[in-house]
Amino acid sequence: MQAADRWGLERPWLINWQWVPKRSAGPGFGPQEYARARARGAEVARATLGEENWETLRRQGYLDVRSRLLPGLTYRLRVGRRIQLLWDTLDDAMRSPWPYDYLCVNPVYPLPAIEFTAHLYLYLRDREEEVIRVAAPQPFDQLLGRVF
Amino acid sequence: MGRIIVANRHGDQVIEWDPAADTEEGRAAIAEAEQIIAEARARGCAISKKVDGKHVLDHGPFDPQAEEYQIIAPIAGG
Repeated sequence: MQAADRWGLERPWLINWQWVPKRSAGPGFGPQEYARARARGAEVARATLGEENWETLRRQGYLDVRSRLLPGLTYRLRVGRRIQLLWDTLDDAMRSPWPYDYLCVNPVYPLPAIEFTAHLYLYLRDREEEVIRVAAPQPFDQLLGRVF
Repeated sequence: MGRIIVANRHGDQVIEWDPAADTEEGRAAIAEAEQIIAEARARGCAISKKVDGKHVLDHGPFDPQAEEYQIIAPIAGG
């Protein structure tokens, strides 16, 4: 594709990333590249989330997103970690479609963790059904494997 | 200028076009931008569009007048 070539654009959706180790960006990345990617990722996340959400995330260390589909549920987003499920009441929790309180959701290609947090925010706010469809429930918290 | 932010392991890469450019090169840039969006969608990516200063996931056709698009990675469990 001419534009991709002209801009030196990497189109990650065309690449198989299965062989890349967890929490790695793949070959050709040294400390400088990681630092630059994280800095740029933070700029994009800030623009994606908007100033209010960005400041909330910086201040609190998490962002809460209220579910539109599951009564009494709030998703807690933390940078680079599994989604935490917070239920208003025990009755609400008893109706959970998942047996555990953490959801493992990763991007299919490597991204800076802060940037993926903004992506997850958009998915949860605008396309929650997709998160519900793919999420892998887990009994404990952990770092995500496809972000760095 | 319109632009697409491609979120990838570099943090982002940006491609831009001028919606007002009435030249062959300008029209080609718009066509290429549209093609990148279509290709990403076909591979499962979501597309976010900046509307009234706010990013929202978008299902609509490519709009060369849009201020900003962002290509959002597909998600998977586990």
